[in-house]
Amino acid sequence: MTRPLLFTPAALTLISVCLSAQAPQPDPALKDAAKQGKDLWANQGDRDGATIKFEQVLAALEPKSLTLDPEWSLLLCETYNWLAILEDRNPAKKADAAKRMEALVNFNPDFELDKNITSGKLLSLYDGLRSAKLAKVSFTYLPEGGVLKVDEKPGPALPSRHLPFGVHKLIYTKPGFSPQEVDFELAPKDSRNVDFKLDRNASTITFFTYPSGTEVSLDGKSLGKTPVQTASAEVPVELKAIAEKAGLKVEDLSGAFVLSDLKVGKHLLELKSSCFRPKRVELGETFTTPYADHILEAIKLDPSRGTLTVSSPWPGGELFLSGQSYGALPVNGVSVCAGTYDLVVKYPAGGFSQRLDVPENKTVSLATKPKPRLTFIGFDGTDDFPGKSRLITHLKGLGDRLKEVAFIRPKEGEPSLEAMARIKTAKDTELVLSLNTIKDKPGSAVDLVVGTLGGEVEHFAVKPLDEDPLLDLVARLNMQPQIWEPSIGLLVADLPGEAGPMVINAGDSEKAGIQILKPITQADGKPVSTASALRKILLESKGDTLSVAQAGLATSLPLGREPLEIPLYAANLCYPFVLAELRLRTIAAKGDESAFLKLNQAIALMHFRRYDKALELLREAKVLGSGRSPQVLGLGQGTVDYYTGICLSKLGSVYIPEAIQAFGKAQGFPNSTLFGPDGPLVAPLAKQAAEDLKN
Amino acid sequence: MTGLLPIPRRHAIALALVSLPACVLLAQDADISEKLYQSGERAFHAHSYPEAFETWNQLLQAAPRSSFAAQALIRMARYHIEVEKKPDSALPFLERLKTEHIKSPIAAEAMLLRGEILAQRAKKPTDMKEAIAEFNRVVDLYTDNPAVAGAHYQLGLAFQGQSNWGRALQSFLEAYRLDPLSTFAPKALLQAAEVLDIRGDLQGCLRLLERLRERSPNTPEAKDAAWRIAVRVKWRMQKTPLKSEGLWPAGKAAKWVNTPTLLTPGPDGDLYIYEDGLDRASVLHKNQSAPVGGLVKGAKAMMVAPNGLPWFLTKQGLVKEDGVPAALAGNAPTGGVLDHWGTVWVGDKKIPALTLIDLDGQSKALPSPTTNALAPLPNGGVAQASDANRDVKFLDANGQPQVWIPYGKGLSGVFRYVLALGSDALGHVAAIVDGGEFEGVVLWGPDGSVLRQATWRQLGISGKFVAIAFDRSGGLILADRSNDLLLRLN
Repeated sequence: MTRPLLFTPAALTLISVCLSAQAPQPDPALKDAAKQGKDLWANQGDRDGATIKFEQVLAALEPKSLTLDPEWSLLLCETYNWLAILEDRNPAKKADAAKRMEALVNFNPDFELDKNITSGKLLSLYDGLRSAKLAKVSFTYLPEGGVLKVDEKPGPALPSRHLPFGVHKLIYTKPGFSPQEVDFELAPKDSRNVDFKLDRNASTITFFTYPSGTEVSLDGKSLGKTPVQTASAEVPVELKAIAEKAGLKVEDLSGAFVLSDLKVGKHLLELKSSCFRPKRVELGETFTTPYADHILEAIKLDPSRGTLTVSSPWPGGELFLSGQSYGALPVNGVSVCAGTYDLVVKYPAGGFSQRLDVPENKTVSLATKPKPRLTFIGFDGTDDFPGKSRLITHLKGLGDRLKEVAFIRPKEGEPSLEAMARIKTAKDTELVLSLNTIKDKPGSAVDLVVGTLGGEVEHFAVKPLDEDPLLDLVARLNMQPQIWEPSIGLLVADLPGEAGPMVINAGDSEKAGIQILKPITQADGKPVSTASALRKILLESKGDTLSVAQAGLATSLPLGREPLEIPLYAANLCYPFVLAELRLRTIAAKGDESAFLKLNQAIALMHFRRYDKALELLREAKVLGSGRSPQVLGLGQGTVDYYTGICLSKLGSVYIPEAIQAFGKAQGFPNSTLFGPDGPLVAPLAKQAAEDLKN
Repeated sequence: MTGLLPIPRRHAIALALVSLPACVLLAQDADISEKLYQSGERAFHAHSYPEAFETWNQLLQAAPRSSFAAQALIRMARYHIEVEKKPDSALPFLERLKTEHIKSPIAAEAMLLRGEILAQRAKKPTDMKEAIAEFNRVVDLYTDNPAVAGAHYQLGLAFQGQSNWGRALQSFLEAYRLDPLSTFAPKALLQAAEVLDIRGDLQGCLRLLERLRERSPNTPEAKDAAWRIAVRVKWRMQKTPLKSEGLWPAGKAAKWVNTPTLLTPGPDGDLYIYEDGLDRASVLHKNQSAPVGGLVKGAKAMMVAPNGLPWFLTKQGLVKEDGVPAALAGNAPTGGVLDHWGTVWVGDKKIPALTLIDLDGQSKALPSPTTNALAPLPNGGVAQASDANRDVKFLDANGQPQVWIPYGKGLSGVFRYVLALGSDALGHVAAIVDGGEFEGVVLWGPDGSVLRQATWRQLGISGKFVAIAFDRSGGLILADRSNDLLLRLN
């Protein structure tokens, strides 16, 4: 529990001054220089040496005179004083002593010269300069420790001030008290006494937090952040006690934060800081009845951190959390503040982005892979159309709806043509989104175009006034092509009256003990009654094997994955995205996996009738059949050769002989299929295709 | 995407540079044509067809080249096909669309429809030429139009009708490959599976049927695939012997039929039963029997027309819905099959030929031994039993023998007579055989191999069995005319 501590008002003032937040201050070495100057003169009588030292200090402080804190201001005043004394004793510089006195009066007329070292002549000069344009005003304060505002400029409540002749408005304030205002006019040779006596109207509470920079709210109203502690030569004993009681070092504490104007009643203090658990402090009525000044024990927030591990099988990734780089992947077990981050991994090609929550005391592990980057190049806006602003609003929010691409917004003010040229040069995106209006058609439709940098484009006719004009675009950009499925190498079917899916073909699994024409009754220890149920278990399985049972006899079958073909014109796919996605996946793929990815890339290119490009990929795709029995049906080299024949046949009659040759090769792979492992055999189709070409 | 959007998905857009007045004029025309189109559409939905046609005709006059004119033409064509059920009347609209809007994506739909109408009009395989050309045009001209999958599917059907199985398979698979989620995809996959079976690839057929079941589970084709898998696996892969399940359907008492002599499965799997004692046919749907068609005396063969009504062969001739016999070449018909083209194949036990009678009543003779029983095959041909030749032949759609099975081959003994043949849509053929060492039931696969055989003694049944048919659960139904009952073998 946070209890009030009782300190004297003087101690409170000291702590407050000591720990107040200030602007950046000069190099502390200047204080040593000033001390060396004093020593040179006092101990060695070296006036020139001393002068040089003080001139160094002056040169450093004078330009910053308006922002110096009281300690440095005092040093500047002393430096003027010392230089005036030294120069007054040097005939060559005697005239400069008066300038120092004048500068001092201008900087701080309330500074009193050191009478022990300053000559009577200089003292008279200083007093004369002051009284020529200033009059002295003396103050008493009740209570002390407040702030005196002189003509709107706040400052410490000093016992006296020298003020210019003329009208002045003075206000003395102190938290917990009603301010008092005094107006008067000063004439030459005037002197005046002013007594301030404030009436208490509220309580104050002063506290320190760990860490500094903690957000403070009182009764739901934000009051700002606790200040950073200022380094000070002398730490008040009271502050040490506060730190010790909280088990902290003094330097861990924030600067003092004062809750002023606390009226009668209970109050709720809330403190928040990133990386720390929030804290609530209930302030009872005793703090405000009667009104008084209080200092709380230090409020220490407990750290709230989590651990993050990010890896990627793709090379070259660099991790960024909310814009800050955490270096190259893998990043293992890095301690981060608990909270939500915009996690970005930048790859040489593609990117990954995700809003990530790191819970306190938890480890979050994430495997990332590059996603295609989709850059929206904006809309020049020269053409107007109904619903334009609505559509633009939808487009601005597009990134939040896309799960499979990293969305890059347009650069502010960059025309779309320039953006396109920049992207083509930099090649730092895989996909481009652009927008065209359709001028000569009724219906106010707009054409959204998604394209690769290679020119494979797809158009989306969008009606800006639809409830969700981007629905189709979003759905298709979020649809990953399915190119693998788990397999245990069995063909099963549901037959009436059977206890489970009947094995129709077992391939190599017969050797493992699977019996043809017997139903499978269990898979992965769970009962299965239909082929769909078995498929569901397959899709959910993660190991290397799957146990299936026939008539109570369990057999462990290797769980592999079989490649699938993507459809050529599926209405639910966005083919530029499919192409970009497959290209990225191919970067990290090897062997047969790479070959099947290239096969599917080729099919995606066939969608755009880019048979020449497709052909290049098909020629690179070499299926070795590693890890698969030659008896098992599925996509294979025969499939690649069949599509090679298809592409060649589309390139014109000049390539017909090569196409026939490719179809001939395809016939040499009796277990290659189309679509996937449950598709038709390629060989008879290739034979038919070759015959068609020959005829 | 709605049909009203003026640009098709994935279609490249070429924006012509036009002067401002021309652009404004174009916009005004477009405005009028859209209003006229929508006005016609409103009337159409209110079933005020004359008003709709009048409005659309105005549109065709006012803006004949607009995209809405193309929309109107296709709507008018569809009206004739779907509402009036007169597809021929749609042809002028489709041809105009094809001529005047060849660059419009709607022309692809028009050409597909036109091809379908031409295909439906075909009476023989060679008549399909024009339809095939139209489907090929859709494929060649509108590569990425959704109609292309439909065109491939229709090409598959056309090639199937021509018994060009290789091209049919290619076309069906292409229709599926384009977009497995399209409405054509399950239909195409089902047909591709059947073609694979016809070509002898049972495993390939089963793979595709199971793929269909898994990936399009809520389609009618998936239901169709289920029984097709089950029956194929049961007859061709499992070895369980035939046994009698007794009276059929379950719950029906004996003599619920009166002298059943003919059994024929209908297109939806219902069983048509001709009762000689009643001189009429009935259809058994979910175990409920209902009379169908008119009275026909002494029917020797029964077929089911596409409209669900039975046709008969009697000594007097071919009897269709009108009940008037059309004379045949002979007077001893023993079997009749109605094929895909509407041609009736007639077998006669005294005439050494099969008579083929087309839709127009023209007949031609196909040289053949005399026929004792006839059953349809899924390849468009027939299974023919000839006691004179003592063989069963599986003929293709051109009447050419593909499979030849001497009586008794593969059986424990020979037989002399085939009393009845039955077949299913999967190419299985069953026979009631008599005389000699083997009297009972034989079941052959599409390749002529014996899949099941059982004598009456083995089955433990007796009677005068004169008709046999398959059901879709992998059973055989026998008609016993002397005991007035049906039995099921499983």
